[in-house]
Amino acid sequence: MKKYFQIIKGTWAEYMVYRLSFVLWRVRIVMQLLVTYFLWWAIFSQHETLFGYTQSMMLTYILLSAVVRPFVMGTRTQEVGMMINDGSLSNYLTRPINLFRLFWSRDIADKSLNIIFAIGEIAILILLLKPSIILQANITVLLFTFLALVIGVVLFFYFSMLLSLLGFWTSEIWGPRFLSFILVEFFGGMLFPLDILPESLFRVSTLLPFSYFIYFPLKVYLGQLSVISMISGLGVGLVWALGLKLLTELLWRRGLMVYSSEGK
Amino acid sequence: MVISVSHLKKYYRIHKKEPGVIGSITSLISRTYENVRAVDDISFSIDEGELVGFIGPNGAGKTTTLKCLSGLLYPTSGKVSVLGYTPFERKHEYLKKISLVMGQKNQLWWDLPAIETFLLNKEIYEIADDQYKKTLNELVDLLEVESLLKVQVRKLSLGERMKMELIAALIHAPQVLFLDEPTIGLDVVMQKKMRDFIKEYNTRHASTILLTSHYMEDVRQLARRVIIIDHGKLLYDGKLDNLVKRYAKHKVLSIVLETYVSPDKLSEVGELVEYDFPHAVIRVDRGASNMAASQILQKFPVDDLNIEEPDIEDIIRDVFTKKNA
Repeated sequence: MKKYFQIIKGTWAEYMVYRLSFVLWRVRIVMQLLVTYFLWWAIFSQHETLFGYTQSMMLTYILLSAVVRPFVMGTRTQEVGMMINDGSLSNYLTRPINLFRLFWSRDIADKSLNIIFAIGEIAILILLLKPSIILQANITVLLFTFLALVIGVVLFFYFSMLLSLLGFWTSEIWGPRFLSFILVEFFGGMLFPLDILPESLFRVSTLLPFSYFIYFPLKVYLGQLSVISMISGLGVGLVWALGLKLLTELLWRRGLMVYSSEGK
Repeated sequence: MVISVSHLKKYYRIHKKEPGVIGSITSLISRTYENVRAVDDISFSIDEGELVGFIGPNGAGKTTTLKCLSGLLYPTSGKVSVLGYTPFERKHEYLKKISLVMGQKNQLWWDLPAIETFLLNKEIYEIADDQYKKTLNELVDLLEVESLLKVQVRKLSLGERMKMELIAALIHAPQVLFLDEPTIGLDVVMQKKMRDFIKEYNTRHASTILLTSHYMEDVRQLARRVIIIDHGKLLYDGKLDNLVKRYAKHKVLSIVLETYVSPDKLSEVGELVEYDFPHAVIRVDRGASNMAASQILQKFPVDDLNIEEPDIEDIIRDVFTKKNA
């Protein structure tokens, strides 16, 4: 177990080497957030409620999505695709270490650092902008939120890993990943809650795994779902997570058989 | 027997693309594939503590064989066994006992000092504290890198980095070591140091080492046994001395003359390869070398005479060209 802790420490140390890049990355995220925030703020200045959301619900959704995002989607697994293609994966294959656990460790390092910053930023924004934020006090709802987040984390890890493992069969790994960014941004609920979409589109989106990245955990947090829909939502998410896990592990085993340790 | 390879084959399927945009588009629609036989039916075995040199031209299949032995590649067919394990299963117990060092590849954490990678490897290989300290000190002493441990890897020179790579690869005291071009890109002084180190390591730890190199000097200095492959096929497996006896049809007489002798006269003894008075080099048939030597001593004013084996590189070149012809 200690080896994985050592990896977490090393990953943090790497971020410290590129301090400025990290800070600028955070600045970019805050600016992105502010654009969405003020867009919704402006829209709600004309209306009391829209699409079944009050202004404070919507702004809570947007602000909290900035914390949920690094928690669920903070990852280093895109490196795996590059490692397969440039052959540096071999460095890990010849050492007694499990690659999936290695990247879980790297992701934990990435997520923890980004969450700390995200919480700090949101705290400052709340102090400056003074929006009315919905604080959820219901223990059951908070528990479900936590479970939804865990499912989101697992789902995203295997989803991103899956895209990287395509590298075993093609060197064009960035195309699918870029496409996935758009899908995740839209169907993940990063810009708006999915239930403001037309009914049919919303139905489709809830069947996709992306909705578990941002939308589902926040929807649970806001307390807008019945216990039944929370449980069924978790159930569908769990099936997705397990399915993707099995598929990813299958691709990993198959991929190693065609791996050619190219380049170096 | 530590390593046993039997009828190992590794074929790659690669697709070929015509150059240019048109070629790219055509290759989208109809791809032409070709099988590359990187390793084609190779068998050999290596005993504990042996240091074996693996030689062959570029693309001969040396690295592919090493990669099969270290579990990176899934063999197309054949049986590979190292220390009783099947490498491709990559059991952690197995990986703890071996190491693969590639001259042009780095496992070091690029942005951090090398010591961070050593610490990571300590945990990965689950090495006890005192064992780790002992091995690290020994390696640091042997390679003289004490002062560089805390320097960011990216700031190290190539030679320094190679030394660090070696430490990272040896920190768990592997029983079997695969070295792929360990001296590539190093200057002659560093090459020698690296060779001395490998030799020292081999005797001190009785570890089994399989080494590939383009530099014949590496092989000559380190390996008593060589395996020669080309185009994925094994051409020779045996002692370096025997290779010379078997393939070298000539011997070389190296002469220092006291007074000038015309090249024509020297040519009567054998093939005059080089003549730069007072120094002359004559190639003669292997069996006739003694005769030729005494002839020279009688006929010419000779200051010094040596009977030498031809250069090992020449012999190996002969082996390759004969095979290809």
